[in-house]
Amino acid sequence: MSVNSLLAFLDNPGIILTLGAFLTVLAPVALRRPIMLGVVAFSAFRLWGMEIGDSLAFTLFDLEIMPVQYDVLSRLFLVVFHIAAGLNVIYSWMVKDRSECFAALAYPAAAMGGVLAGDWITLFIWWELAALTSVFLVWAPQTRESYLSGLRYMSIQIASGVILLGGIVLVFREQDSLAIGTLSLRDGGGNFNIAALMLFIALGIKSAFPMLHNWVQDAYPKATIGGTIILSVFTTKLAVYMFARVFVGTPELIWIGAIMTIFPIFFALIENDLRKVLTYSINNQVGFMIVGIGFGTAASVNGAVGYAFGNIIFESLLFMSVGAAMYRTGTSKATELGGLYRTMPITLFFCLIGALSISAFPGFAGFVTKGLILDGAAEAHNLIIWLILLFASAGVLEHAGIKIPYFTFFAHDSGKRPKEAPLPMLIAMGIAAFLSVVIGLYPQPLFALLPHQAHIVDYNPFTAYHFVEQLQLLLFAVLAFALLIKFKLYPPEVPSTNLDVDWFYRIPGRAVLFAIIGFVVAAWRVVWGGLQKLVGSIVERTHRTHGPEGALARSWPVGFMALWTAVVLGAALIVLFLNQ
Amino acid sequence: MADHDARPGNTDAGNKKADSTGWADHPVFVRGFLWTLYISCALAAGAGFIWQKKKPHFELEAFPVFFAIYGFVMFALIVLVGQHLRKLVGRSEDYYRERE
Repeated sequence: MSVNSLLAFLDNPGIILTLGAFLTVLAPVALRRPIMLGVVAFSAFRLWGMEIGDSLAFTLFDLEIMPVQYDVLSRLFLVVFHIAAGLNVIYSWMVKDRSECFAALAYPAAAMGGVLAGDWITLFIWWELAALTSVFLVWAPQTRESYLSGLRYMSIQIASGVILLGGIVLVFREQDSLAIGTLSLRDGGGNFNIAALMLFIALGIKSAFPMLHNWVQDAYPKATIGGTIILSVFTTKLAVYMFARVFVGTPELIWIGAIMTIFPIFFALIENDLRKVLTYSINNQVGFMIVGIGFGTAASVNGAVGYAFGNIIFESLLFMSVGAAMYRTGTSKATELGGLYRTMPITLFFCLIGALSISAFPGFAGFVTKGLILDGAAEAHNLIIWLILLFASAGVLEHAGIKIPYFTFFAHDSGKRPKEAPLPMLIAMGIAAFLSVVIGLYPQPLFALLPHQAHIVDYNPFTAYHFVEQLQLLLFAVLAFALLIKFKLYPPEVPSTNLDVDWFYRIPGRAVLFAIIGFVVAAWRVVWGGLQKLVGSIVERTHRTHGPEGALARSWPVGFMALWTAVVLGAALIVLFLNQ
Repeated sequence: MADHDARPGNTDAGNKKADSTGWADHPVFVRGFLWTLYISCALAAGAGFIWQKKKPHFELEAFPVFFAIYGFVMFALIVLVGQHLRKLVGRSEDYYRERE
């Protein structure tokens, strides 16, 4: 690799932010956050200078490695990842903890490196780095719960990486190339292609497919306030990006995504921890994106990745507002919050913008892109999926649009009268809220980033009909909420733990694991004990014959030795005689 | 980040005396909010008769208040049915803490 190639390799957001993360660790405490912001700004500046089609490749062990492949799809995700990374740096300005500051840059760096990867090996490296760097955010609170959760999180992420690697090996065997391209989940005969299936499952774990989703709820709410916000952005969206890159138009994704949009709604409804409610919201929102990618039309893919862009901003905004309430009160539980609108009106205002955006109210970010995904279902004349997505839209309104602001700032009066959120948090929330509104009112800059430009130039989200259908859906859902509250039919929040899929590996799985460990220990004791006895008896017998008291240790007379010498010499003479 | 800022004045420990009624609890606001909602719903439903999709993909879309009914019913369904999930999966707050 020449010096120019090396410089080109270093000049990409993944590397810049990684180096920045190490720089942050070495910097004095007071300079950590300014340096972090500077590194993100510098990386964004370098991204600005990149041209669509830029790439960097070199040969290693006869394999073509492509650490940088910049196209319209990667551009969209890199832009919004920079926005999210910058907002998180500002939001957590008060945090100087070395490991958290490191992870706040190194983890987004890994996600961005993965987005830029043009080959599977590069992706695999960044994929694993994303797992390794993000676990520090889960461990940051330094509690036993967060430690155990971090271990489970790590195990699942590493499992995803191992499956990914297996898939990469099989794909390489089939294609003799490591280049990332579209794959078909099934072969010509309709059977699953094992290589593609392994990659599909690896991405499915990261994007939190149904039944593989619970690491999100297990780990994210146990991180620090800022850590949860960072975590909410990158891993699942990197997987969404990879699905858009590799499995676009895969019909299985339509139903998987549809299920993802439904089941979290019910868990979010009964969940007391509002940060956990938002993690269910991540599953639901990613489900919309997966459906759009599954349809694979220009409209639906534009909708899916455009929705990912907006979602990263307004979902972060909701996490930030709940985080601000938690920062001031020490809790994110609905039963312990409520009535904060009195003293945290600015945070409330930003939270409402996030709620309106995620609910896709006209004029806010979700509105302009969610319609594209629904259009994808409608154009495919898939009535059931279309109805499911509408149902899920009502569900989003329930848990993210209403429950989050209502139980944090209104509902019962908790008696808490905390101060308004600190200035850095307000600035970060303000920027996110501003972007949510700007995208909602003037989406053209976002549209310019979408991959299928030929389609989007004809798309106008601000039609009277689109307004009416969305307002009907949402306003009548709010009406249902108001009536349920009025007639006391809305379930009260209850302090509880709600079992989910993680129960299987945390309780019976743990019991089975301990049983296996017990069996292995017992088996080891039996084998080791037997070996010890065997060796002991050999040593004892040897000692009996060769020891100081043994038969072979007796002192023999000189004549006996002379006799044996004569016997040996005699035998030698006979052998020589016979040989002649 | 320290999980929260527990300095006096930032939490309820350092409160000024907690007053019970704020603007959102005031009956005038509550009534105003509800009436605004009722009128908005009526306007949205009425608008469905005026602006309709020119080329609907499904027959349902052609029904002027389909989205209104669907939104109302589905939201109520989610809440009324979903709350029973708690009976199935709800456990004490310390459930995992006691077992891990």
